[in-house]
Amino acid sequence: MHELVEFAVENALELGADYAEARFEEKNGTSLTMKNGSPEGLEILADKGIGVRVLVNGGMGFASTNVLTKESVAETVKKAIKLAKAASRVRNEPIRFSEENFHRVSYKVKMRKDFRDVSPEEKLELLKKIEEEVKATGVNVPMRFIRYYDQMWHKIIFNSDGAFIESFIPRVSTTYNLVVFENGQMEQAPFVQRAFSGGLELIEKDEPWKWAVKDVQALKKLIYEGKRPPEGKVDLVISPEVAGIAVHESVGHPYESDRIFGREAAQAGESFVKPDMLGERIGSEVVTVIDDPTIPNSWGFYLYDDEGVKARPRYLIRNGIITEFLTNREYAHKLGQHSNAAARAINYNREPIVRMANTYLAPGDYSFEELIEDIKLGVYMVSFNEWNIDDRRYQQRYIGREAYLIENGEIKHPVRRPILEITTRALWSSVDAVGKEVEFYPGTCGKGEPGQGVPVWMGGAHARLRDIPLRRP
Amino acid sequence: MFDVNELILKKAKELGFGDVVVLSHEMNRRQVRFANNEITVAKNWHERKVELFVEFEKRIAGTTITELSEENIERTLKTLLSNMKGMAPKEDYYGIAEGPFEYKDIPETFDKAIVELDEPNEYVERAINAALEEGAKRVAGVLYTDHDRIYLTTSNGVEAFDEGTGIEISVRAFIGDLESGHGTNSVRVLKKFDPESAGRKAGEIASLARNPEQGPEGRFNVIFDPLAFANLLSYMSFMTSAYAAEAGFSFLVNKLGQKVASEIVTIKDVGNMPNGYGTRKFDDEGVPTRETTIIENGTFKTFLLNTSLARKYGTETTANAGLIMPHAWNIVLEPGDYSRDELFSEVRCGIYITNVWYTRFQNYVTGDFSTIPRDGIFLVENGELRPIRNIRVSDNLQHILKSIAALTKESHHVHWWEVNTPVSTPYVLVKDVGITRATK
Repeated sequence: MHELVEFAVENALELGADYAEARFEEKNGTSLTMKNGSPEGLEILADKGIGVRVLVNGGMGFASTNVLTKESVAETVKKAIKLAKAASRVRNEPIRFSEENFHRVSYKVKMRKDFRDVSPEEKLELLKKIEEEVKATGVNVPMRFIRYYDQMWHKIIFNSDGAFIESFIPRVSTTYNLVVFENGQMEQAPFVQRAFSGGLELIEKDEPWKWAVKDVQALKKLIYEGKRPPEGKVDLVISPEVAGIAVHESVGHPYESDRIFGREAAQAGESFVKPDMLGERIGSEVVTVIDDPTIPNSWGFYLYDDEGVKARPRYLIRNGIITEFLTNREYAHKLGQHSNAAARAINYNREPIVRMANTYLAPGDYSFEELIEDIKLGVYMVSFNEWNIDDRRYQQRYIGREAYLIENGEIKHPVRRPILEITTRALWSSVDAVGKEVEFYPGTCGKGEPGQGVPVWMGGAHARLRDIPLRRP
Repeated sequence: MFDVNELILKKAKELGFGDVVVLSHEMNRRQVRFANNEITVAKNWHERKVELFVEFEKRIAGTTITELSEENIERTLKTLLSNMKGMAPKEDYYGIAEGPFEYKDIPETFDKAIVELDEPNEYVERAINAALEEGAKRVAGVLYTDHDRIYLTTSNGVEAFDEGTGIEISVRAFIGDLESGHGTNSVRVLKKFDPESAGRKAGEIASLARNPEQGPEGRFNVIFDPLAFANLLSYMSFMTSAYAAEAGFSFLVNKLGQKVASEIVTIKDVGNMPNGYGTRKFDDEGVPTRETTIIENGTFKTFLLNTSLARKYGTETTANAGLIMPHAWNIVLEPGDYSRDELFSEVRCGIYITNVWYTRFQNYVTGDFSTIPRDGIFLVENGELRPIRNIRVSDNLQHILKSIAALTKESHHVHWWEVNTPVSTPYVLVKDVGITRATK
C-alpha cells in the first residue's frame, strides 16, 4: 500500500498540484449488540480506501476511492486536481499551509489481550455480564440496549512536504442504554460509553458492568428518594464527567480555528472567540483546560495528526487566560503560527479538519471533602443526560441525571434533573476551586459535512462553581 | 453488479446460510463546500460496496465487502460462518420477505442531466449572490450532487435494481456575529433545482434579524418554520422505528392506538414519494416502498417495521427495512388549510423560530428534550416581527405534537446536515411552548 500512496502524491504533483497528500486507511473489527437480553447480530467491520487532498492555485480538492488499483487511484487524483482548480476560481485568497518539520515514523498501540484473537462468543460474554450484573441488582430495567465494538485502525499518511506516518491504533468500547422503571416512574441512562485505545484487557479492567450497576442503582434511588433541586443562586459542584462535557462544548469547540475563521459556519457554526482574544481572560485563575492527544490508551489518542504533524498537549486556557487555539496547517498559516496537530479525519473518505482529542479541566489542589465542606446550600451534579450549546458556543445547558443536594457541607438526598443553563464566560468565571483527581469519559465528537464523529475523551477534575442560578424542570 | 451478487448468494447457500441479502451500491457523490463567499473545498467520492446480511439457524450477521474478488468473498463468508457458529441464536428473528415483487418506476428520481453535469460551481455562485443581494455579508454552505445505483439480490427470490440522482444546497447567510439566516433546496431532477431560493431565504432572514435583543423566557405560542420543524420530525422519525421502541429510545412505547398528537396532525412515511430525497423503489429486503400512515388525525397507528419485526408483532411489514433496524425514508407532516399570512395573524404575541439545531433528549421514553433556535428568531406581535436572540426550546415531544394548533397549506421538503431523514412539513403553530435562556 506504501507504493500506492506514494504514487498518488507523485501523480498529483505531476498533474500540477502545489501540495498533495494521500491517506490510506484500513479498519477491521467486530461489533455486537444485545437488546433486552437477546443477541441482535454480529457485524464484521472491514473497510479500506485512499483519500487524496491537493492544493492547486490556492484551491483545495479532495477525492477518495475504495477501489485500490493504480488506475482507480490515478482517476481519483485527476478528480481532486480538477476540483481544486475549479474551486480556486471561486476564492478571494489562496489557501496556504504553515511550514512544519515532518518525520518518517511508524508507531503502534500495543494490546496485552489482542481482540483479534478473541471469538465473538467471548466478546458477547462481556455484554451478558453487564446484563447479569444489572439484573442481579433487583432493579427493574425493562429496556436494555448494550453494544460492544472493536476496531484495528491502520493508517498511512504521505505528503509532498515530507511526512510519512504509519500507525496502528486499536480501539475498544462498550455502550449501553438502560431504562429503569420503578414505582410507576421511569428514568434513563442513555448512550453511556466506556472506551479506550488498546486491547480488550482495558475493557475488562474497567469493568463496564460496575458502571451500569452504579447507574441503575442511582436511578432507582432517584425515583424513590429524589426531591426537587433548590432553585435560584446556589453553589454547584460538577463531577469530572460534567466538567468534561462542559470543557468539550464551551472551550474545545469555540477554540477550533476553522470555526473561528468561519469555515464551519454552515454546519457546526462559528465561535464567540475571535483571533484577537488570545491573551484575554475567560475564566477564573483556577481554570486551566488542556487538550492532549498523546495520553496513553485514551479514546482520542494519536501521536501524529492526519496532516503528519507531531502531536503535543495544547493549553487552551491557562489560569483563566485564552492561550491557544486548535489549528491545522491552513489556519496555523492564517494565524502566523505552527500547527498544533489538531487535523483529524474519521476515515479515508473524509478530509482532515480541526478537531479535539482528549480535552480536560486540569487538576487543582482541593480534595472532594474540601470542595463541599463550606457549601451551605448547593448541588453535586454527578452525571448528565440532555445537553446542548448554541452554534457560537456561548449559551449552554446540562441537566443532571445523578445529582444530590449539598447542605451544610454534606451530601444529602438525590435531586431530580437540576438544570445548569449558563453562558460560557459566566461558567468559567464562577469556578473558585478545582479538585486534585482527573477522570476521563469517552464520547464521539460530531463536526464536518459529511459528518465526522471522532473518538474523544472529555474529563477533568471536580470543580466548584459559586452563586449559580440553578433551574428546575 | 448482479453478477457479484449472484456469486455471493451462490457461495453463501453452498456454505449453508439460510436467509441471505446482498445489497450492492455504486455511488458517485460530489460536494462543494463554501464559506466567507468562497469555496473552501471541493470533493468527489466514488465507492463500490456490497452490504451483506446472512442468517444461520437464527444467528444473524452483517458486513460490508469492498474488495470484490472471488477469493475475498469466499474468505468473508467463511469468517462470518465460523464466528456465528459459536453464538447464541436471536430467538425473535422471523426471516425476510418472500419475493419476487413487482416494482414501479417512481417519477422524478433519476435525471441524466445530473449525471452529466460537469461543473456545479455555477449553482454555488448563484446561491451566494442571491444571499448577498438580500443584504448578507458572509455566505456559507454546501452543495451536493448524487448518482447512486443499487442492486439487490436475496435468497427469497428478489432481484431488484434502482438508479437515482439528486442535487441539493444548504445556504447560511450572515450579516454580523448575531444575525444570520438559513435556506435549503433538495431535489432529484435538475430542472427543479432552485439554489437562488435557498440563498434568498437565508439572506432575507439574516436581514430581518438585524440587531436582535435578548429573548424572553416562559411559555409562548411558537411558529416553527419548515426548516425548524423538520429538525424535530427528523429526530422523531427514529422513534417511529420498532427497533428504537424496543431499545428504549422512543416516546411512542406502548402508545399504539392512542392519541399522541393534536387532531390536525397526520404524519406519514412515504418511501415512494416523487422527487423525495430519501425515495427508493424497494427496502433492504426488496419489498416495494410505499406510503405508511404513522399518526392519523392524532392517533398513533403503527411503528415502522421490517418483515422480522412485523411477524414478531403479528402484522405486515411497512417496507422500512433496515434488516436490523427499520427506518423512515421521507417523513411527511400533512399540510393544513392556513395561508402563511393567516398563520402569523393568529399569533398576537408569540415567537417565530426559523431554524433549530442540537436537539437532545433528557429522556427518550418520556420525550423530554431541548433544542436551540439558530439564525433569525423573532417576537411576533400583531403581525410585526422583532428580532431576538439567545433562547432555547425546552419542552416535551408529545406536548409539542399535542399542542399543534395550525398548519399552513404551503409545505417544504427539507434535507440538510441537521435533518438527516428528509422531512416535508408546513409552517407549524404550536401553543404554549417552553422557552428558557441563560440568566448568567
